[in-house]
Amino acid sequence: MKHLLKKIAMLAVAGGIAASAQASPEADREAFQNFYKNRFASVPMEEYPNGVYSIDPVGRENWEAIEEFPPYETFIDDGQEMWEKPFANGKTYKDCFADGPAIAGIYPLWDKKNGMVMTLPLALNKCREANGEKPLKYKKGAINAITSYIAFASRGQKTNVIIPKDDPRALEAYEKGKKFYYTRRGQLNFSCANCHLQNAGMKIRSEVLGPALGHTTHFPIYRSKWGGMGTLHRRVTGCNKQVRAKPFKAQGEQYRNLEYFLTYMSNGLELNGPGARK
Amino acid sequence: MQNKMIGYVMILAVLLFGGLSTAQAAKAPNPEAAKVERMIADADKARKRAASVEGEWRDVGKMLKKAKAALAKGDYKTAKKLAAKAKSQSEMGYIQAVAQKDLKMPSYLKY
Ligand code: HEC
Repeated sequence: MKHLLKKIAMLAVAGGIAASAQASPEADREAFQNFYKNRFASVPMEEYPNGVYSIDPVGRENWEAIEEFPPYETFIDDGQEMWEKPFANGKTYKDCFADGPAIAGIYPLWDKKNGMVMTLPLALNKCREANGEKPLKYKKGAINAITSYIAFASRGQKTNVIIPKDDPRALEAYEKGKKFYYTRRGQLNFSCANCHLQNAGMKIRSEVLGPALGHTTHFPIYRSKWGGMGTLHRRVTGCNKQVRAKPFKAQGEQYRNLEYFLTYMSNGLELNGPGARK
Repeated sequence: MQNKMIGYVMILAVLLFGGLSTAQAAKAPNPEAAKVERMIADADKARKRAASVEGEWRDVGKMLKKAKAALAKGDYKTAKKLAAKAKSQSEMGYIQAVAQKDLKMPSYLKY
């Protein structure tokens, strides 16, 4: 296994470098999506929200069987209960999110007032805290129930991350997320892009490396390996650890900026959460 | 090519930094214990430096914890080994991050 990782690392090096670090987000997105269009010419764009199963026929069969009795279903129900049950002060989530529960499509968004990327889990906890409730944990547990319910209600919305022009800090956050994505880390010296762009479609251990396009459309996910549900930041934590890098804090600045960039790359793709993955 | 160079720089840095031990002997009853303690403190400093550029590696914290436990048990040999490894990994993580200070987009992305 170590051998394989090394091989992939060598391949990553062979990829070389080009100087387009300062392209616009739109040009970034086009290059990103075109990369997959070229590599997986027979895969239609609307397939990418299905993750690795858009390119792995064997895994797909298994996945389709799992989706017949979705393991996340009870989480949607629990989430609905959470959504409807008043807080101790009598208010509900609806008082914070008037358009709820179908609000997944507006996140992550640039929060100009606070000068930061606002994600759905963070916004939910802000709402809870404003109403005297304890915040939820950001990787496992109840956060996945409420976001499952919201994701389910938001199915069919299109990814549409906006980087407002009237606040240069928004573009800065995007650029930081982009930098994070292409930076090699950890003892194995891999970037996210080394696995999910450059080597997409290749195998690592028993897993096929999935395309990054569509990586953000379907969270939270029920993962068989976890035997439970997890957030996007939980998944990214795993990917950081896998290359032996110290992961960052869930909902900390690094992962929020990363989410801003990564979701922008999937602009135009349909939301289809919650998801089930191996 | 660039990666290879980073590799060499890392090795060089490890050789260099590994040889430097500047701290003064503390007034502890056991000079060996004091030395190990200093090694652990040095390694932790290196860890923080790597973290400051988002370059900390996964197992360094664990190594330091284990080193402290070994020190407490009087197992200096193990403690030293772990502290040295934690330090060298921290230095490599730092160099790795700094070497990529400026984002270079991969050539397989066509603009
Ligand atoms: C060593 C290779 C490797 C690296 C590096 C890596 N990943 Fe992954 N990642 C995987 C594998 C394998 C999977 C599971 C199969 C799949 O969906 O691609 C996965 C899955 C994911 C998923 C879940 C996909 C889904 O459909 O639910 C996300 C999101 C993700 N990775 C993001 C990242 C990010 C962000 C980074 C950089 C911090 C990263 N990965 C770095 C190997 C890697």
